[in-house]
Parts: sequence; structure tokens; C-alpha cells
Amino acid sequence: MTAPAARNVPALLMGLREEGFSGTVRLSGSPGGAIHVRNGLVGAIDTPGAPTVTSTLLTSGRIGDEAWLAACAVESDADRLGGQLVSAGLIGAAELEVVCTAAVFDAAFALGLRAPGGWELSDREPALVARPGVEPRQLTEETSRRMTLLSRLWGPPGGLARVRPVAAAGAGTRRPEGALARRHQDVLDHVNGRRTPRDIAFALGRGLYAVMLDLVRMEALGLVQLDSSTTSDGRPSTAPRAPRRETSTETSTETSTETSTETPAPKAAPLPKRRPGGAIPPQDAGQKGG
Amino acid sequence: MGEKTTALQASLDRLLESPGVTGVALVDAVTGLTYGAAGDIAEAGDGTDVSELAALIAERLGAAGAEGELESVVTTSRKRQQVLFSVVRPAGDPLVLAAGLDRDRANAALALRGLGDRAGEVLA
Repeated sequence: MTAPAARNVPALLMGLREEGFSGTVRLSGSPGGAIHVRNGLVGAIDTPGAPTVTSTLLTSGRIGDEAWLAACAVESDADRLGGQLVSAGLIGAAELEVVCTAAVFDAAFALGLRAPGGWELSDREPALVARPGVEPRQLTEETSRRMTLLSRLWGPPGGLARVRPVAAAGAGTRRPEGALARRHQDVLDHVNGRRTPRDIAFALGRGLYAVMLDLVRMEALGLVQLDSSTTSDGRPSTAPRAPRRETSTETSTETSTETSTETPAPKAAPLPKRRPGGAIPPQDAGQKGG
Repeated sequence: MGEKTTALQASLDRLLESPGVTGVALVDAVTGLTYGAAGDIAEAGDGTDVSELAALIAERLGAAGAEGELESVVTTSRKRQQVLFSVVRPAGDPLVLAAGLDRDRANAALALRGLGDRAGEVLA
């Protein structure tokens, strides 16, 4: 299977819509991901840049881990998992439709923050998909609208995605208890100067765009500070949520495509050399462990 | 979002059976994304406008010292009403059910109450 000649991903999806394609579009680059297409409609998008439906449902506690695993055990094909969740009474069909649709648009927005590296088509990969799916044209238009709105309200969305917000001084005491929307309070509880909007979105099980929009509104309310000087690198955070290894050999392999045009990955310090006589030379002694 | 009638579309279609309701739409209160609509969509209102209006009113109410989440907004003209109901969901960002009402065709107060009672059923 070969990818049709298209100048960009929206054009590719439009072409696949006309063909009634069912399968997967694998995107390279940062953050990259997989677009699951069913009968030409976009059913789901997996990307490290935004929470998936699974992440949203489990992190928010909408569906418990045990119940989720039980549903997965009954229905192993992820394409049909939604039906199982509904028939098991874990979520309403209309609500699941809302969650799946929201995730598709949110992931498309996350992908739009950076230009994709390239793409290739493959066979259908099982995924929890929105039924029947989202029209590619609607997806493109909504993503453009979101980019335009954030640009007008704050500035370049790519820059906002890299910000690590901090709570404004006195943010917790500025308003009486109960006057702040619960979701704003949740965001406020998670800003610490280290987390990006993406990190907050994953921690809360909310959409990336929704969190970014809330942060802009909260800045206007004097609750948070979005100082673009706190950005640390040239891309949205897509770091794995696992402790980073100290040795750099494997880490640099995993992220080399993302950082190659920016800061070179630090090289591992040379191991101390044993020399005749058994002593470690003073200049090597402090470099152990890098 | 597609050609086949979905559970959400069926829920919204049922709301049109209420007297005087000319159009309904289910909108994400944060992002402004319209998840579904039935009837005259223009009467229900544009999703982006609906969400921004609801957010603005909620912010102003909060600044004025009001506690709790926004429940509903009613905008009335001589002929029509636009109503925004907050749709409670167990988890996730809030939703807004936007509805347009024709004041000549129904008792507005009854229609408002009926819609308010059924807003929670949309996600069933």
C-alpha cells in the first residue's frame, strides 16, 4: 500500500475520504502519531501530544480500571470496545460519542502545533474509534479555528504549548472559595512551573486545547502567569512520564529525531580508566556517572 | 458528524418534539466544539459563540461573588428565546445544551422547564 501524493496531512485525509479508505495513517516527526480512518472518516488519533480516549476515561475516573480491564477481556478488538463499554453500562452511548469526538479534535490540534515529518499508510489497527467518525474537512477547519483563536488571545499556539505556567501570587486567596470553576481550580492545583499544558492535560485527563484555553482565561483572571521565557526547548513536552535514565545512551536514541535540529543530546562521560598501579586519576574521579 | 444516526443525534432529535423548540445543539462549554445539532441550527446558536457567552457570564458571576457553576442562561427577544443549559456529566469538561424557542408557538415557561428537565438525558 502506498500513500497517495498529497501536499499535506489535511489533503491526504481529504483524498482518503473520497476513496472511503479504512486503515491507519502513521505520522512521523514530533509529536507524531497514528490516525485511524474508517470508511474515509477519522475515528481516532493516537499521539503522545494529547490524551487518548482511554487516558481521558481512566484518568478522570469516569470508568474504573477494573471495569475497563473486564470490558477489554470480553471484547479484544478495540474497534468494538465502545459497544462493550456501553452494553456493560459503564458509559452512555451518547457520552462515549462525545468523549471520542472530543479526543479526535484535540489530537488533531496537538498534531497541528508542529509540522509532521511524513506519513505512510498501513492496514487497519484496532482503536477505540468515534462512530461513524469525523469528516476530514471539519477536522481541518476546527483545528484552524483553534489555532486562530489562541493566536488572537495569547500568541503563537506552539509557544503557548511550551510554557510552564506558575500560579500568580495570591491566586489561592484572590477569590472566595467556590467562586472559581472546579476545572480552573484543578488546573491551578497542577501548575508548578515545571509542567507544560500537555503535562497538565495528561494529569487531569482533559484535552490539551481545553487546558491551554483555560490557562489563557486564567491568566486574564490573574490566577496564573504564562511567561514564555519559562519555555525550555523548541517543542511541546512529549517526554515519557517515567523517570529519566541517568545514562544517556538509550535516551538519546529514543529522542534523537526530536532533538537533532535543536540541542544535541549530551554525550555520556567516559568511564574512568584503570591505569597501572590501580589508582583512578584525579581528573576522572569526579565524572563517574556523568 | 456522519450519515448514520447516532445515539447523540437521536437524543437531540427527541428534544425537537418539545413544543416551541426550533433547534438544539450540544456544545462543549470550554472548546466551543459542537458535538451534534438538530432542527434549525442557526436558532440554537453557533457553538463558539455559545461557549464564549457562557464562559463570559460565568466569569462575571464569579467575579461578582456568585458561588457554584452556571446553570442556565436565557436570552429573550420579542419573538424568540435562546436558552443555554449546563449539562451535568459524571466526568469531563462541562457541556452546554443550546436551544432556540419560538415564543409564538409555545408557552415559553413550560418549554424552558421541559427542556431543563430533559437536558440531563441527552448523554444517556
